[in-house]
Amino acid sequence: MTIRDKIEEFLRSRADQNVFLEHEVKDLLRGFGMTVPKGMFVPCGKRIKSAAGLSFPLVAKVVSSRITSKSDIGGVRLGIGNEDELRRAVSELSRMEHAEGVLVEEMARPGFEVIVGGIIDNTFGPIVMFGSGGLFVELFRDVSFALAPVDREQAMWLMNETKGEKILKGLRGKPPLDTNALADVIVNVSEVIASGRILTIDLNPIALYQSGALVLDAKMSRI
Amino acid sequence: MVELDSLFSPKSVALIGATASEEKLGGIVLKNLLGLKGMVYPVNPNYPELMGRKAYPSIRDLPQTVDLSIIMRPAAEVPDILRQHAGKARFALIVSAGFAEVGASELQKKIKRIGRETGIRLIGPNCLGVYNPRHGLDTMFLPHSLLKKPGKGNVAIVSQSGALVVCLLEAVRQANMGVSKVINYGNAVDLDAADVYEYLAGDKETRVVISYLESVGNGRRFVEAARKLDNAKPLLVLKAGKGASGQKAAFSHTGRLAGSYEVFRSILRQFRIREAIDYESLLDAAKALSFQRPAPGKRVCIITNGGGSGVLATDECARAGLEVAPLPEPVAEHLKSSFPSFYAISNPLDLTGQVRADDYRVALDAAREAYDGFIVIALTAVTGVTLAVGEMVHDFSMATGKPVVAHIAQGGISRKLTKLLEKSKIPVYSSPERAVRALGMLLCD
Repeated sequence: MTIRDKIEEFLRSRADQNVFLEHEVKDLLRGFGMTVPKGMFVPCGKRIKSAAGLSFPLVAKVVSSRITSKSDIGGVRLGIGNEDELRRAVSELSRMEHAEGVLVEEMARPGFEVIVGGIIDNTFGPIVMFGSGGLFVELFRDVSFALAPVDREQAMWLMNETKGEKILKGLRGKPPLDTNALADVIVNVSEVIASGRILTIDLNPIALYQSGALVLDAKMSRI
Repeated sequence: MVELDSLFSPKSVALIGATASEEKLGGIVLKNLLGLKGMVYPVNPNYPELMGRKAYPSIRDLPQTVDLSIIMRPAAEVPDILRQHAGKARFALIVSAGFAEVGASELQKKIKRIGRETGIRLIGPNCLGVYNPRHGLDTMFLPHSLLKKPGKGNVAIVSQSGALVVCLLEAVRQANMGVSKVINYGNAVDLDAADVYEYLAGDKETRVVISYLESVGNGRRFVEAARKLDNAKPLLVLKAGKGASGQKAAFSHTGRLAGSYEVFRSILRQFRIREAIDYESLLDAAKALSFQRPAPGKRVCIITNGGGSGVLATDECARAGLEVAPLPEPVAEHLKSSFPSFYAISNPLDLTGQVRADDYRVALDAAREAYDGFIVIALTAVTGVTLAVGEMVHDFSMATGKPVVAHIAQGGISRKLTKLLEKSKIPVYSSPERAVRALGMLLCD
């Protein structure tokens, strides 16, 4: 199945939704061959007894189509070390206003945080964006754009257009990061937005390592 | 592919709203059209003749179908006038203002529809139209006594704004350039930048295209046309409206980061289309590309008779991504044996205030094989700099075909020397930094 087919199927099975939940988007991305943290979704009202095979430390995040910045309202719990803490976190988060459930995931190792996104631009139609910075992305605005879809070569170009490119290649003795994995993410996101069925997709942040790129948060909405 | 010969070189032109008075717009344009290499038909029901030409009551009364009709009547009359054009004109240029730019979007949609129904291509509304000196075509309502336009040359100007097209015409003339085709298309109800780019790609008289844009309509079509044009000849784009935010999807991170200019700029870079960051650099680059041919390479040699100017040029080279590579050993040795010991034999090569005119020739000849582009700085307040320097630079440029730009300053013969150089197609700039940036436009990867 092509990315486009997978998107069609994804949209068909969620015909009543315009905004998709984090764990749904991550499942879709996993289907494209992208790496996301190991985790489980706990719908509101459902209680959990154990970590169900996930390795501590864990992170728990409130899931809602109506909450846009969950960290800002205390909707993210990091460094959960045991099952007592986990049960408490899940129970508290699921009682938050607008909560539809809680996503429990294995906590990721720190990496270099980048953003890859796509929107339908008013003038140019589907475009893909790459930027570095995670939390500070809107402050430094070290981002670049291209007409979507892009191939791997253009994905590399997109990275080279930013100042963060120096970090990707290994700044001041640090090892170079996995730009091949990042290029795959950019190509995939560009194909998602170029499908003409998706209005916005935000993978922010993506933790980039010497080997691998891990999508830590994901948002997507339908046209 | 749009065939715009009938627009830029019409064999016959009608002027709707022609008048006898040279004080009025319809009279100014009629007078400007008298130089046309083709038939001119003034249309005005109140006159039997205007400026010695038989006048017609309406477009329907003309003895032929015209290539181009220029409409200079109030906006409210334009739909009816346009309907009368059915079968009588290939292109209709609507000069009249009072459409979408003042909120009358319905009126603009109406003329768009009439254009489609009648099969007439529309230019404007709210525009000055076209200027083609080779064909004696000038539809702009600016008296020649007030605006001296440039003569024929190889620069095409494509401008959304009327004010800017006039500024650019004046500046192009002052910079000793000439134009091939000039168009201001205003509200772009039909014909837009992409159409003109497609046409100019195949226009033999155009070597470089400068374009002022505020919006581009269909971005994908624009990019496709710009890319094709730029493959054929250099296109320089100046985009206004850099602060506009522009995305509806402001709730996403990407939407908040994707300012309309940031996206535009990135996409120009994606397709390697040159962007001028401001008005001055648009003109500076246009002059370089009008006079000289781009060439590959990054290695620049700076030849100066003033140390400070050479340092400023070196600094700007670093910013522009150009490489001021050291003189190769044999070149340095040769120059050391040719020049007084107090000249600084390096890159920049400083011939000092005690320079003799012939030193420029010796320096250029020595460095010619080792570099891709050359910056000649001649400060004229010393006796050694004479007009002969101009001839040497010209000869060098002719012999090598390599990009050469000059920075001339300090009064004295500087104006004469500038004129001489620009006549020889060496672009001259009034600061070292501008000269470097212009050379940067000529040197590509």
